[in-house]
Amino acid sequence: MKNQTETNTFDAIVVGSGISGGWAAKELTEGGLKTLVLERGGKVEHVTGYTTAFLNPWDFKNRKHLTNKELEERPVQSSHCNAADKHFYVNDKEHPYIQVDPFKWIRGYQVGGRSLTWGRQSYRLSDLDFEANKKDGYGVDWPIRYADLAQWYDYVEDYVGISGSSESIAHLPDGIFLPPIPLNAIEQHLKQKVKEHYSDRVIINGRVANLTQPKKGRGPCMYRNLCSRGCPFAGYFSSNSATLIDAQETGNLTLRANSIVKEVLYDAKTKRAIGIKIIDAISKEEQTFYAKLIFLNASAIATAAILLNSVSPSFPNGLGNSSQQVGHNLMDHIVNEGTYGTFDGLLDKYYEGRSPGTIYIPRFQNINKQTQNPDFVRGYGIQGKGERENWESKATQGFGASLKAQLQTPGKWTISLGGRGEVLPNYENKISLDTQNLDQWGLPLVKVHFKYGDNELAMMEHMTKSSEEILTKAGFKNVGSYRTSPPPGSAVHEMGTARMGNDPKTSVLNKYNQMHDVKNVFITDGSCMTSSACQNPSLTYMALTVRACRYAIDQLKSNQI
Amino acid sequence: MNRRKAIGGILALTGIGIATYTGFNLFYVKSRKGQLHDYKNLVSALVDVIIPATETPGAKQANVQDFVINYMESCSSVKEYNNFFDGLIDLQETCISTYGSNFEKCTLQQQVAIVKDLDSTYEGSGLFSKIRNKISGRPFYTILKALTVEGYCTSELGATQHLVYEPIPARYKAITTIQPNQKAWATK
Repeated sequence: MKNQTETNTFDAIVVGSGISGGWAAKELTEGGLKTLVLERGGKVEHVTGYTTAFLNPWDFKNRKHLTNKELEERPVQSSHCNAADKHFYVNDKEHPYIQVDPFKWIRGYQVGGRSLTWGRQSYRLSDLDFEANKKDGYGVDWPIRYADLAQWYDYVEDYVGISGSSESIAHLPDGIFLPPIPLNAIEQHLKQKVKEHYSDRVIINGRVANLTQPKKGRGPCMYRNLCSRGCPFAGYFSSNSATLIDAQETGNLTLRANSIVKEVLYDAKTKRAIGIKIIDAISKEEQTFYAKLIFLNASAIATAAILLNSVSPSFPNGLGNSSQQVGHNLMDHIVNEGTYGTFDGLLDKYYEGRSPGTIYIPRFQNINKQTQNPDFVRGYGIQGKGERENWESKATQGFGASLKAQLQTPGKWTISLGGRGEVLPNYENKISLDTQNLDQWGLPLVKVHFKYGDNELAMMEHMTKSSEEILTKAGFKNVGSYRTSPPPGSAVHEMGTARMGNDPKTSVLNKYNQMHDVKNVFITDGSCMTSSACQNPSLTYMALTVRACRYAIDQLKSNQI
Repeated sequence: MNRRKAIGGILALTGIGIATYTGFNLFYVKSRKGQLHDYKNLVSALVDVIIPATETPGAKQANVQDFVINYMESCSSVKEYNNFFDGLIDLQETCISTYGSNFEKCTLQQQVAIVKDLDSTYEGSGLFSKIRNKISGRPFYTILKALTVEGYCTSELGATQHLVYEPIPARYKAITTIQPNQKAWATK
């Protein structure tokens, strides 16, 4: 029995191996802690696990299309995956949840999680974001400011490798950048026209975690633009290609795949979490692991579900939930379907290689008095991409040799723009557990309640109109938008379900991502976000994770936890 | 073929008609999947008229027929499958009544004439066709042309000989000057 307990006991346990879990694994193992990483999905080895990475279009029997059977298995995920990367997205039938309101919960149950398929856009938050709740009264105040996080952004960016340009925009701070992915001819044109027509907005190179130069033995990017299949060149950052490898090299890492976390165990005497009970995904047997320190990085919805399922006499409503905020304040980013336009000129210009990057229009509403918008608070950014039409998008005439000739030549230049807007924290947007409906492992299904408010809808209308106006002013033709919004969750930026705050009565985590109620539990995935800002959030999760890990290690070493 | 299209078109012109037609489709459309492999010669001949061999290989040599059939059997909706299947049958009927022979056996001139007739009905991206397609699925020729183009441009011969395919560019030159006879990239 003694041996059994010993092999089940670690200094730290990290739940989840996605983008924030990978960082927790790296920082805790490098800090000398024997660390167990629990991942509910199967193993994906760097390089050899990327089974479709080198396949050509014709190697797929149905090209990129999912079969009807695959669509049936993935009614939710299918909007976000194709035949080449579907294995990195869950089978919805095997992993059901309940949409009380429409909400896409896009998931990747495997080692590396969604760090394999993420959009790689990486932007810092600023004090415009950290002070927003306090200023306009939505949600609770963030317990940190930009100055608390700046050095950790530096640290993370330097390790990850973010390509981008320094722009001196106060509300979108510059970082440690590799050379940016350059703009192509149409993107340059748009940048110039925006400069001519607007004083309040600017087009910048998108900041992406693709390596324009080699970094720590990884990369550089080969410009294949097949990132979501996993990159054998480690051309972009993922847990698999970077943090988990460094964690492994310390000798302190134990990675257990196929381990579904059932609950966090709590000891009322010491007021500490003592371990984690898992269900083996394959054998369905339960097993318990013990540690002095626990990091939850299962992603916002899953982490909240674990807390809500961890009930004890001390916490009948879920671990660390004395505030009654666990599972609440669920946010995503509101996105529109996009605005498109074609351009008649620049036909002598083309490009070589396929850019994995984008252009970006940083937030330009409600920055200051001049940009105050009467219809909504906060703001949105716009991502975009320019390219020449090819066979996929070109309108062709006729058939035979003339059709072939049309297919063979590059088409018109096009630009597509898509807004990403801030969603306000709202207690009614939440996840809860349905104890009457259990999954195949006997765990209660997650129920998602989510509705956009007037602020989000006004913002969406504005992002569509302003995108159309920008393209029209820049001389684009056939400018139009799909006047619909994909269901909430489509941005795959779910967050906010265990928010940080100064007051234990209204928040779950303190300024170090430490549970107010349970001092040896830290949460550094999207759950912790007090507001959503409008920037793609992964970079912030990573910086918060490193900061929390350093603090936790200090606390552990000084016997504070 | 024209008769069936006409009925769909007339029904679709009135709001009530659309609802009735849709209701009918939703409740009574049966899957007839599994039959297209028997029509491989016909599909091969059709795709090769749409994309014939020129100085680069044609669709048939690029095995586009296999993709068209695989897609229709495994990926298409039941509605579109039926539109496609009925389209093939109607096409053969037209060939036999007009030329006394099935499409595969027609002369190239006859085949081209038949496809030209079909192509004149091709509906690209008009609002009306978009709404109609959402309700009843794309019509036969629209499906055939779209799959032929996709299948060819993503085939090994189409992508590497008719277009330019680079599996590992290893560079990104954001602005280049187009060369004489510049071919389009096969992939984005």
